[in-house]
Order: sequence, then structure tokens, then C-alpha cells
Amino acid sequence: MSFIIGPMRKHVDGHKELTSHTDVVNLSPNTVAIPLVSGAMTADLLVKEGDKVKVGTKIAQCNGNFTIPMFSSVSGTVKGVQQIMHSWLKPVDHLVIENDQQYTFEAPFAPVDFEKASREELIEFTMNAGIVGCGGAGFPTYVKYKFAKDIQLLIINAVECEPYITADYKEMKAHVAELVLGTRALLKMSGAQVAKVAIKATKKDFIPTLQEAFKPYSNIEVVAVPDVYPMGWERTLVYELTKKRYEKLPSEVGCIVNNATTAISLAQALKEGKPIVEKIITVSGDGIKTPSNVKVPVGTTAHELVQTCGGYAAEDVLLIAGGPMMGKTITSDAFVIAPYSNALTVFVNKPVEAIACLRCGKCSDHCPAGLQPVRINNAAKVNNTALLEKLNYDACIECGMCSYICPSKIDVTEGIRRAKRYMALKKK
Amino acid sequence: MKFTFKPSPNYRDKQSTHSIMLELMIGLLVVFGFSVYYYFTEFGSQYGIRAIGLLATAMVAAFGTEAVWYAFSKKNVAKEIKNSFPAITATILTLMVSINTSYYALAIATIVAILFGKLVFGGFGQNIFNPAALGRAVIMASFAGSVAADFATGATPTAAYASAGWMSTSASAFDAFVANFGGMSNMFVGMYPGALGETSALVIILVGVYLAIRKVIDWRVPVVYVTTMFVLTFMVGAMHGQGLYYPLFHLLSGGALFGAVFMMTDPVTNPTSAAGRIIFAMGCAILTVVIRLKANLPEGVLYSILLMNMLTPAIERLTDGQQIKMMKKNLLTIGIVGVVGIASVAACSLGVTAKESTGSDAGTGESTEGGSSTDAPALALGNPVALDADFAKFDAQVESSEGGVYVVKVKGYGLIDPEGHAGESGIDYARNVFEVQINPETNEIMSIKNTTFGDTPGIGDKGVSEAYLETFVGLNTTDVTQEVDTVTSATWTSESVVAAIQAAINAVNE
Repeated sequence: MSFIIGPMRKHVDGHKELTSHTDVVNLSPNTVAIPLVSGAMTADLLVKEGDKVKVGTKIAQCNGNFTIPMFSSVSGTVKGVQQIMHSWLKPVDHLVIENDQQYTFEAPFAPVDFEKASREELIEFTMNAGIVGCGGAGFPTYVKYKFAKDIQLLIINAVECEPYITADYKEMKAHVAELVLGTRALLKMSGAQVAKVAIKATKKDFIPTLQEAFKPYSNIEVVAVPDVYPMGWERTLVYELTKKRYEKLPSEVGCIVNNATTAISLAQALKEGKPIVEKIITVSGDGIKTPSNVKVPVGTTAHELVQTCGGYAAEDVLLIAGGPMMGKTITSDAFVIAPYSNALTVFVNKPVEAIACLRCGKCSDHCPAGLQPVRINNAAKVNNTALLEKLNYDACIECGMCSYICPSKIDVTEGIRRAKRYMALKKK
Repeated sequence: MKFTFKPSPNYRDKQSTHSIMLELMIGLLVVFGFSVYYYFTEFGSQYGIRAIGLLATAMVAAFGTEAVWYAFSKKNVAKEIKNSFPAITATILTLMVSINTSYYALAIATIVAILFGKLVFGGFGQNIFNPAALGRAVIMASFAGSVAADFATGATPTAAYASAGWMSTSASAFDAFVANFGGMSNMFVGMYPGALGETSALVIILVGVYLAIRKVIDWRVPVVYVTTMFVLTFMVGAMHGQGLYYPLFHLLSGGALFGAVFMMTDPVTNPTSAAGRIIFAMGCAILTVVIRLKANLPEGVLYSILLMNMLTPAIERLTDGQQIKMMKKNLLTIGIVGVVGIASVAACSLGVTAKESTGSDAGTGESTEGGSSTDAPALALGNPVALDADFAKFDAQVESSEGGVYVVKVKGYGLIDPEGHAGESGIDYARNVFEVQINPETNEIMSIKNTTFGDTPGIGDKGVSEAYLETFVGLNTTDVTQEVDTVTSATWTSESVVAAIQAAINAVNE
């Protein structure tokens, strides 16, 4: 109901035209550095300095709460472990591999015919293939399916609502057959009867292709969704397609959501025994000379990507790992592309001056979580913990909408982060 | 190469507070432009220029106050003013006053609005009350008499209907009343006297729709306000046998639409959540109707806004929480406010009666002789005035004198005379014409009749009622220093009677 609550979303100028019509460029770096972490977990190394590896060689595995294997993205020689700044703003161990430019492939696991495999076998396969969510968060895909119960609807998220990013779109265009296969496999894994592939209605040129590809499967539907941010957020997407809201996980309302590129990655693993070793990365923004989509092996540095795209357009830039809404600025371009990366956004640094809040409530109207960012900010300023609890500050996913919409250019999202930090300290 | 760190997001919408205020300002100027056009075309350039002068006065007062304040607080004056938007307050305040407001009163009100309405609270964004509404309340409370008499335009429909108790005796009585202002269609178009910016529903609605589409104002506030007010006044009308014209007149008159579009939507002083703003707008509508029906004020919009401004922090607390989880509670609150509103307005309307005939036979230029007062109310006499007082403003002229009967023409309060008697200044004044018969031997007034009535029906006709005119019969005019009574709430008209008598006496003495 958008009468007693705001629209909870907004059309955001996507600037997708910068990269959506240009060809994908290939980049082959001389060395790659593969991050040996996933979330809070560090990986156990399976190779040592001087080892020869091939594309697909399993080099490490995370064995924490989840199992995530890691694979070499190039063929060549292991040069050792090095601490490099990660795109999550922490220096972490990376395995450095020298690229022999041969790309000799070695399947780390055998291809599987998903139609013959059982649901459990498929989940096990997804785990061993190291398939992680490619929307940016990198959450291991198999975990979702392992604990999924009573799922009625699989949602393939091809929305790509972050501005500037066209990597999913390019990936889908190049791999329509894989998208179909991956979707069918995920549908089987989920136990749902129906799948919906959600794509922005503005992708008019591509929707007919998708519809044609999914035509043989009457239980899979291509759904055009409005071009608004954050349409690709699980909650927003589930609400759009089912008009239902949930507390913690979409499975509460019988839904499971996966990114389109994740489905493609799974299909490639099923078909060729190939894990996620290369990614299409959108390098865009007004701080880059020739915005493009670049296909790179996992572990390529941001610096090389930027150089491939003509370099920086200014001396003082904001280098963002990901899109401009949720991606973080990194103060060095030495960080590398992880299996779940999808973009680099570079802006010329143009500082904006914040003025007094005019209490317009646009942040509260547009917050996709239905929070009241302005109230949270004000409560945080006076450290009113009771009010912060009442305002449910913790439900914020830091999508950035409140700062984006703020006409007074206040860093509202940052204010909520401050509230979170304050409450975290308080609870200790 | 420099990589600057900034917390995400690093993407901003194009709309800024400055662009919002600029568009709002343009919207306000469109409304003002209509007003200037109206005064230029209907009253002449003198009036049009005065409208512009009023806006200029308010602007100077607003900017001056801010400049002095920020200079004294040792801040960068230009920068602070740029982010403080005094022009909006000045313009809204100007649009809320009538053309005859004195420059002095408007300047003081603007200074109070800016200083005590905004700056002392900590500047833009911190103020509790809508500064313009506060300034208007100051004029209403302290400078009601500070008017430029040369710029009389006649009573506004709101004031006229308010003195009739916001009720008509019948639909035909209402039609006759509203015909004085060009009918309901002209009430919609807005070519009638009133506060500068409040008369044209058409222009306000057009500007409001534009501003809502441009997301400068929240559409919920005016829509909820108008809907609530329509429902409430429709109910009141139904209770008193009034037709659909009754709620429509409530919406079209006074500052209802202007307040809904330009003042209740002031983001600083209304709640931040959508649900909160709905409650706020409903509260404004309820208070407007209650004040109109019950309070001793012509208008309720202004005070309803100020009262709801005061309740904004309470509404904020009421709607605090994660909005998607608060929806049921918020709907319930809205329902309760609606029920309370209906109940209180219904209770208020029980005692409402049409206080008098709202001009069923007056104001059309016809004689009221012998006909008007079958249901004439008791006269409230007061404010004695000397027979030799200065009545220059009435411009009384003896047109003929035959057999001791003096026909005297005096300026009316100012409804435009349909026959177009142009005054010296090129402004059309309606005329009150009296026949005064004075006995040349005894110097006693033998009779006084009002042959043409040009004042505001529903108000002025008290001043020409037979009951009042009879009080002069037998009056000895030798002593011109003696005082006679005028009619309370029809001061202008009753003074015009005295002015006519004075002119007649002067004619006798010549």
C-alpha cells in the first residue's frame, strides 16, 4: 500500500547505455591474486609456492560454517601468498599465480546431467563447484538450497538494479542456453513448481530472446519488473512478484532467489565441470576514459582493468568496488576481482555540500526496508537507544537509497551505520 | 593519482533542497502573478503596483532580518541566507494578506515570522511553526486595523459567510449570496477580493499538481486535507439541509486550498512519515472546520496549521517504528482521528444556524426599501461617532436637493458597481445612495432612506436596515459635535449613513 507508506523504491538513472551496447573486451593479466577468504572465513591452502596449476585446479577451500572451494583462474606457477587490500577494505591473504597465458583447462569435478541427478546430489555438486551468489554478496549457493523447505517459487534475479552495471546483462546475452539450463537445475534443487525470471521492463531488446528460450518450459516465466532501485533486492523482488513480506528469509513465504549469473555459473559447472574462474566486469562511470565490460580471470587487479579501459579521466577519483549505490570506495586500485565481483565504478571526485535537513521525509518514503532513516539519524545524534530499537535500525541493508534521495545531500546511510556501530558497542 | 574515500552510496539524485525551493518559489510567483493580474485589471494599476509593493516589502524585511541575524552571529551571511530560503516565507506571507494591509504591518509580521518563527529555533529545518503562518497570525492579532484605507476592495466571501455563521438559510439564499462574488464558478477562477494568493482555486490546483508531480510537495497532504474537509463539511451541510454547494464553498473560500498546497506541505513543520503527514492533514481539516463553525474567527485554516504544527512532534512519536510493521497501527490511528473528527465536527455543527439572511435580496444594486428586514436581526449599536467627524473617505456628494430632500451619494465598502460609477482615481466604487429629508425650520431629520445599496450583503445591510435608519429620525442637527451610534460589524456602512447626513447638513447650511 503506497498511501500510508511511501513507494519504498525509486527509478534511478542507471547510465547503463555507457556499457550495454559495446562489445565485451578480453583481458589476460600476467599474474592473478586469488583472495583466500570468503566472508569472515579464511581458506586452507592446498598448493604451495612453485606448484604448477591449471585453469580449474582447486587451490584452497574454506571449511568454516560453509564449504567453499577455490580454483585457479589461470594456468601457470604459484608465486606464493601475499597480503593485499581486499574490496571489503581489509588486507587479506591472496594466492599469487603467474599466468602462462595458455589457459590449459583441467576440470576439477566431473560434469553432471542434472536431469538424472537427485536433488541432494545437485546440492552437493553446487557446494563442490564453489558456486557463490554472483549478485555481489558471495553467499554460497548450496546453503540456501540445503535448508530450503516448502519452496513454491524460484526467482531468478536478472534485474541488475545497481546503476552503471551491465555485467549480468552481458553474461546473459552471451549465455542464454546456460541461463535456461541453470534455471532448470536450480528449480529442481529448490523443489519449487514454478520459476520466474525477473528482468527490468526496460530491457526491451532482450526480453523476447529470453521468452523464446524459456518457451519450452511452461513452468518458467519471464517477468518484466519496473526499472526502479532496489528492484533486485530480495525483499523488494519477492514483494513485487508475490506481494508478500517476510521476516528473515524468503523461504518463509515459499520463495528462493538466485542471481542470473549464478544460474549461468552453475550451468557451466554442470555442463563442462568448470567452476567460476572468469567474470565479466563492468568498468564504468565518468572517471573512466572508455567505459566497457571486460572479461577477466578471477584475481585480476582493478588497476589492470582500469588501464584496459583507457585509464582514469581525472586525478582525484572515487574508485568503487561494485556499483555506486552499495559498492565501497577503495583507496587503492591494487585489489582484485573475486568470483562474486561484477563491477568497478569510477567517478571524478566532486564533493557535494550537505545543508540542513528539511525533514521532507523522502528517505522514509523510499526506504525499501520501510525504515525511517531521518528518525534513526536524529535518534543516533542524541544516542537515544530506546528509540533506535523502536525504529528497528538493524533492518537497514545500507542500500544507499536514503543518501541518494536526500535533497539536502546528507549522508543519511552513514548516519545509520553510525547508529549500528553505537548500538553494537553499547551491547558489548 | 588520488583515490578519495567516501562512505557509500556515491550517487545522488539530481533534486536538491535548492531546486525544490526554487520550484516552489516559481509556483508561488505564478499564484502571485495571477493576483497582480486581477488587481491590475479589476482595480487599476494603483492596486497592482501595491501588490508588488507588498511582496517587495516582505522580501526586504525577510532578507534584512536574516542578514542582521547572521551578521550578529558572526556567520557567512551570504552562505547562510542561501541555505535558509527567506524568500519563500516572505512570499507565502504576502500571499496570505489582503491588498489593503499596511506595508508597516506586513514588514513587522515578516520580521516576526523570520526571527521568532525560524531563526531563534536554530534556523531552517529547526522551526516548529510554519514561519509564514506565524507572521500572518501576528497581523491578525496585532495589526487588524493597520490597513491602507485607500485600497478598500470590499468584504471577502469568507468574511461575509463567516459573519453569517457559515450557514445559509436555503440554497437560493446561498446562490444569491455567492452571486455577489460572481457565483461558484468565479469562486473557482478567483476574480474576487480576498487574500492576495488565496482566491484562485484554479491557479492553486494547477500549481499544486505541478509541484506534486515534480515531487516538490507530497500529494498526500492536500489530497487528504481536501477529502477530509469535503467529507466533514458535506456532513455538516447535510445536517442543515444544505446542498453540495456547502462543502464546495468551504473548500473554495478562504485559505483552504492555498494552505493545503503551500503551507501544510511545508516539510519542516509537518511529520516526516507518510502516515504522519496523513494524520497531520486530517487534523488540519478537522480543526479548520471546527474553528470556522465555532470560533470567533473568520477563518480556520491558519490556526489549524499552527495547532497541528505544535502536534507534529507527537505525531512523529506516534508513527515511529519500521513503517511496514506499523501499517496496521497507523491505519487504526487514521481511523480513530477520522471518527473523532466526524464526531467533534458533528457536535460543533449542532449549534450552528444561519445568523441572518445572506443577501437574498440585497447587493444587486436594487433598492432595499421596504423589503429587506422581515427577519432583521437585533442591531448591535456601538462605536459612537461625532456628526462632524472626518468622513472624507466616503467622498459624500449631494446630488440633488428638492424640498428639503437631499439625495446623497457616498462610497460603498467596495463591491464593484455593476453600473460603473468611476471615481476620481479611476477606481470603481460601489455607491450607497441615501435620501435625507431635513426640516429646514427645526433642523430635525424627518426621514432617511437608502435607495441604492452598494455594500457587502450579509454584512453591510445591517447598516442600512430600517431599524438603524430610524434611530436618526427626529435627530436635531444643530449640534454637529453630538455623537451618534454606528452598527457593530457594519461600521463602514453605518458610517456612510452618518457621512450622508453630514453632507446633507452642510448642504442645508449653505
